[in-house]
Amino acid sequence: MASSTIDPGAPADEISAEQRVPDKNRIALRRTLLGRFIRSLVVAFWVMFIAFSLLRFSPGDPIRLALGTDATEEAVAEMKQRYGLDQSFFVQFYDYFTGFFSGDLGTSFFSQREVTEVIAMHLPVTLMIILLSMGAAILISIPIALSVALSRRASITYFFRTSTSISLAIPGFFLALLGLLLFGTVVTWVPAAGYEGNFPSNLKYLWLPALVNCFSLVPILSRVLHSSLMDTLDEEFVETGVIRGVGKLKFYWSYMLRPSLAPTVVLVSYMVGIMIGGTVVMEMIFSLPGIGRELIEAVSTRDYAIVQGIVMIFGFIVVFTSFIGDLLGYLLDRRVTLS
Amino acid sequence: MSKKVRKVRPVGTLGIYIGSGMMAAMLLAGLLIPLFGKYDANEISADQIMPPSRDHLFGTDMLGRDIFARVFDAVFIDIGTAFAGVLIPLAVGTIIGTLLGISRNRKFNSFIGSLIDGINAFPFLIFVIALVAFLGAGLGSIILALSLVNWARYARIARTRAVVVNQQGYVEAARTLGYKPTRILFRHIIPNVSSETRAYALSDFIIVIIAVAALSFLGLGVNPPQAEWGAMIKDGANIITLAWWSAVFPGLAICWAGISVAVFSEGLSARIGEGNQR
Repeated sequence: MASSTIDPGAPADEISAEQRVPDKNRIALRRTLLGRFIRSLVVAFWVMFIAFSLLRFSPGDPIRLALGTDATEEAVAEMKQRYGLDQSFFVQFYDYFTGFFSGDLGTSFFSQREVTEVIAMHLPVTLMIILLSMGAAILISIPIALSVALSRRASITYFFRTSTSISLAIPGFFLALLGLLLFGTVVTWVPAAGYEGNFPSNLKYLWLPALVNCFSLVPILSRVLHSSLMDTLDEEFVETGVIRGVGKLKFYWSYMLRPSLAPTVVLVSYMVGIMIGGTVVMEMIFSLPGIGRELIEAVSTRDYAIVQGIVMIFGFIVVFTSFIGDLLGYLLDRRVTLS
Repeated sequence: MSKKVRKVRPVGTLGIYIGSGMMAAMLLAGLLIPLFGKYDANEISADQIMPPSRDHLFGTDMLGRDIFARVFDAVFIDIGTAFAGVLIPLAVGTIIGTLLGISRNRKFNSFIGSLIDGINAFPFLIFVIALVAFLGAGLGSIILALSLVNWARYARIARTRAVVVNQQGYVEAARTLGYKPTRILFRHIIPNVSSETRAYALSDFIIVIIAVAALSFLGLGVNPPQAEWGAMIKDGANIITLAWWSAVFPGLAICWAGISVAVFSEGLSARIGEGNQR
């Protein structure tokens, strides 16, 4: 073995930041992050373009749908002009694009509500459910992954792998119904209906949807954390930590979890998309006033302007969080290479 | 020395057997029960909302239809839709991704690459819901929507893999031998690229089975009289406090289908993993 210049026994946070990133690397880091940022912007542009095109390429005339079958030609033409639908595709897209930066995503064809208003009103509930379920998933996954990794027994690992892949096959909406059956009728821990908007009191309504939602994340999260913990356990500094007799808490955190967290953090950010999908279903089942229920309602009434706006915002959230996730992953573990 | 050689069973064999057995049992039941079962799926055969009994194993729903017959009547609708919703994007995505991976036009490559990233940025279920909204509800548009969304995920995997495969010795050798480019593509590159996309397709199959049911649950799937698991759960959800069986049995059917694929793919990946590592 070649002698290394850095003491392998020292965990990452005992080395100062200057030592870890020499100047040349820092420039390279800046360049990769800038490249990643620009790529995110390009992807965000595509997201907007795709969401916009959905409406324009859909079969059927949305205006005729909104006005009903007995609308006169003049009324249709007048409405088309009002919404700018008589213009060419690219002019419309340009208007939509510039409108976005002044906070205008159009108005609903039916209710005349502004799309941005609808999103601003209902997005907080959805984000709250997502944050709660991600927090719960992390809290559940860490002890599971840690104990499976430390047990080092093949049978436990096998059981862990099988049970996680089986639990991925259970649909969230089915689990939610079972939860409602159990906590709504057998024991009444969940209010039957209604919703209260303020923070601590709305937890009463949100805890079960968030818990059910996190069950689609826990298997994936704990598996990735487990395999990255297994990689960490093979590192030399873990052995050094044992020999040094580091305190239990410090050992778990600095020697095992922190070096293993980077892939998990990146994964969590990528899982936001799946969480959003699950949240929509939860909002429908628990009748919560989130943006997902708004989306389904808009879909069933064919309120295309609203559908387009909500789909786009969800796409933006995913692009943004995966960028942040890559960034955090890099800060946690400088060995991560940004793809 | 006549020591008997103990037959070593490869790791994961049990999982492969159990998984395919579960799936085969379900498909067989889905074939036989609608043919020879006591009740028809749409026949009103008893009182409404009857609990499970010997006559009606899974009870009856709010119209008095036999839930046992309906659950198995839906097998081919659900599994078939999910199967088509995986197979089409698998084929399309693998071919497009491979072509991108071996093409030398960098500008075109990064242009389509960012489009693929753009499609993948949308949350899967949300994008499918939106597409079904524009295409109109129904199984055909669910398959089309799944294909329009999912090909990009396969294409991304295939592209990365194709770049590697394209530089392998056997591809170089085929080129040196002067084989036609189409032959190299279909006989040498795509089979090796698709081993990766097919592995992803297996785990995707579970997600798509659930997604098909979820779409029907949200009211975007089949038209009413047709039995379908998600739609049955939706109907059952309204009366779940009165009749747990009306939603639980179709839900268990989805779990059975998903778990059979999960166990199968877990066994398969254990076996492949063993082959690669040791």
